[in-house]
Amino acid sequence: MRRSVLDQRWAGYVVAALGVLASTLVLKLIGNHVNAATVSLALLLNVLFIATRWGSLPALAASIFAMLCFNFFFLPPFGTFNIAATDNWIALVAFLITAVTAGQLSGRAKRRAEEAEVGRREIERLYAELRDAFERASHAEALRQSENLKSALLDAVTHDLRTPLTSIKASITTLLDEARGRLDGEAPLALDAESKMEMMEVIDEESDRLSRFINGLIELARIEAGELQLRRHWGAVDEIISAALLRAKPLTSQHHLEFDIAKELPGVKVDERAVSEVVYTLVENAAKYSSAGSTIRIAAQRAGDESIQMSVEDEGRGVPVELRERVFDKFFRATRDGDISTQQPSGTGMGLAIAKGIVEAHEGKIWIESGARGRGTRVVFTLPIGDE
Amino acid sequence: MTEQARILIVDDEPQLTRVLRMGLKSRGYDVRAAADGLAGFEAFTDWHPDLVITDLAMPNVDGLELCRRVRAVSQVPIIVLSAKGEEKTKVEALDLGADDFITKPFGIDELLARVRASLRRANAPATNEKTPTILDSGDFHVDLESREITVRGKPVHLTPKEYDLLVYFIRHAGKVLTHRTLLAAMWGGNYVEQNEYLRVFVGNLRKKLEPDLATPRYILTEPWIGYRFDPGN
Repeated sequence: MRRSVLDQRWAGYVVAALGVLASTLVLKLIGNHVNAATVSLALLLNVLFIATRWGSLPALAASIFAMLCFNFFFLPPFGTFNIAATDNWIALVAFLITAVTAGQLSGRAKRRAEEAEVGRREIERLYAELRDAFERASHAEALRQSENLKSALLDAVTHDLRTPLTSIKASITTLLDEARGRLDGEAPLALDAESKMEMMEVIDEESDRLSRFINGLIELARIEAGELQLRRHWGAVDEIISAALLRAKPLTSQHHLEFDIAKELPGVKVDERAVSEVVYTLVENAAKYSSAGSTIRIAAQRAGDESIQMSVEDEGRGVPVELRERVFDKFFRATRDGDISTQQPSGTGMGLAIAKGIVEAHEGKIWIESGARGRGTRVVFTLPIGDE
Repeated sequence: MTEQARILIVDDEPQLTRVLRMGLKSRGYDVRAAADGLAGFEAFTDWHPDLVITDLAMPNVDGLELCRRVRAVSQVPIIVLSAKGEEKTKVEALDLGADDFITKPFGIDELLARVRASLRRANAPATNEKTPTILDSGDFHVDLESREITVRGKPVHLTPKEYDLLVYFIRHAGKVLTHRTLLAAMWGGNYVEQNEYLRVFVGNLRKKLEPDLATPRYILTEPWIGYRFDPGN
């Protein structure tokens, strides 16, 4: 902010001198019969004005100058600094004291006002600084949370890679020990053919598990990078479901399957393999999280003119309402992270995240509700039928 | 004795318990498995195993809680299965009374070696009860009355604190001792964070005991966890 000339203190002295002179001149022009009280009040006005505008020092100068003018021009004998009557002395001294006091008080009030203004600006500045600091802190907090999330994800991934690896390593070292012992002619380990076969089966199954996990990771990374390439063709919903169920057969052998597939469903223009993967994931979850002997219901019908809706429902423990969104987050496992204690195995935390990615890439929606009888889990998804 | 030893495996990974059960059975151990800490503790109280092998992260009752519950009623050796990066939980388990740990993934030989060592330690006669003034362990011979120590037949002069630390190590030979456990045993509960005390005294002991300082063979460092004492043969 640029200060004007009038804001300078010396301007105060100049205005004080000019003001007092001007007032004196005006009063002189009105005539000598103006009484002393009028003169002193008029001059006092000058002092007050100078004090409020330029502070106490220019006001003091104005007071003294006004006193001198008052004496010289208005107290007899006129034109000298002498004073004849005693009461005029009193008037002069009273004027001086009033002028100085009023000037100082107004000057102080002005200073206070200025200090208050400075204080207000300081508070505004501190407030702005505080707000900036707060914004920076929230940014740092967000970063920290994202770092925490990353490390939680890394933990989840390494756990899922290491667990099958541990079984493989333990199996293969046992088999190696047995083979080496036989080569070296040591006393054979009590490892019968059946156990050996079982260990090799474990190696086979756990290698598949690793491979599935890695495929899942790749799939997730593709979805996240927006690189999911859908190969859309016209296909039949019942064929998509059959393909998924054929794959899931080993998992559902202990469950009853029930179907509610609407007749004369229109064909859908989708990536059949990807949608079949979604159905497979839902059936796999249903089998995993409900007890043997219970029923899994698979349904498909039209939802309005432009979509079809499919659902997979189990009779398991269900997903609490507060976790129904989170189970679609990658690596989130309700059985491990959501305080649902269970004896059942927990999955990789990727199936539903991938399913959601596939459904959304088709511009569909996926969500979880309670089963028809208020228990169990029903996962529903919709897919647009597609354009000609 | 160890050939018939009973081992309880507690892990929520069915494939791993299958493999470990077969691997240990082939070595003549009697093995049972449980899928979580709760079932593990039930099996423990019913079956009285000679050794417990437990995973740390499990549903219901986890490995730490299982260590706590087992230690409250028994001194049987506990080996924890842990993953790299779980150092904090590992230390917690050892502080709660676990004897040893093994990091996943591991070969069966490594596990068997730990099992044998733990069982040997548990079955070793309580030397200081039979001969209360003499402590004999591998290369170490300690006369507890005169506070004289010989290592590989040669006398060694130790300060009182070094002597106390060495005797503590010998009495817990083979077991992984966390920094916290050692500090609490030597200096009391107020000093459990003062790892530098321990580093100084272990350094001094190594200078006086180890034939080769570059590759210590008696006081072994378990990085980020603590130390393990091997008395030699």
